[in-house]
Amino acid sequence: MIVSNTETVAGYRIRETKGLVQGNTVRAKHAGRDFVAGLKNIVGGELKGYTELLTESRHEALERMLAQAQQLGANAVVNVRFTTSAVTAGAAELYAYGTAVVVEADDFSPA
Amino acid sequence: MELIINLVVLLILMALGLFVGRYQERKHFAHIELRERQMADMLVTQLGSFPYAQSSFTPPSLMVAEVVIATDYLKNFLANIRKFFGGRVRSYQSLLTRARREAVLRMMEQARDQGYNALCNVRLETADVGGNSQMRRVAMVAILASATAYHASSSATGKTKQNGKQMT
Repeated sequence: MIVSNTETVAGYRIRETKGLVQGNTVRAKHAGRDFVAGLKNIVGGELKGYTELLTESRHEALERMLAQAQQLGANAVVNVRFTTSAVTAGAAELYAYGTAVVVEADDFSPA
Repeated sequence: MELIINLVVLLILMALGLFVGRYQERKHFAHIELRERQMADMLVTQLGSFPYAQSSFTPPSLMVAEVVIATDYLKNFLANIRKFFGGRVRSYQSLLTRARREAVLRMMEQARDQGYNALCNVRLETADVGGNSQMRRVAMVAILASATAYHASSSATGKTKQNGKQMT
């Protein structure tokens, strides 16, 4: 499956548009992580726990989106976008959406 | 008595922010600059088309990176004072810059690991990860970056050395 956040894919031609596919997830870290993040706030620096949280959420949201695309019989998802929202303190929603399409290899012409 | 203890705690926290926080930030910036130099031959654009694209066996692919960085106690304190008087909050600017540059770098490293030499359609978004009620008062920034990695002709990638730096 080709996934891209551009409207077209270099070297491929869109043959058929299947429609919008989406995936979302709401995840939270356990309180221990929040506590460590609180401590980290004294000296600053990367909050690895929260970075991880975002990475996991993104993986899951993308997977759900791709599963939907597969169901529609698409072989690519283009123009993928991400949005996040804070549902409640300590939990984050990550929403991924894109357009499922069927692509085929094109005779290559440089952009 | 209680007041003195509180004051001492406050001073210790601020000193920690001043020394450890500043040291960490400087180290991080040095690390970012080093990696940016290593990645200088990569073509990074935020165009939706694929500039200088070259045909290859591996199709373009989505790269995503996320970074969450917190500010230190001293900066937070200074920013709160600044918020009272208004004006430019410099201490938060470096925080955002660090997070964005780090996020773009991570995507570049991801792309390079997978054998790509160019990124297009770079999108940077500030995410909201919340944190507990205590964290709410403290500034932290979460960046979610996405881009499409592809193969560009090697003659084009060297040219954008300066551009790659300016973009961040």
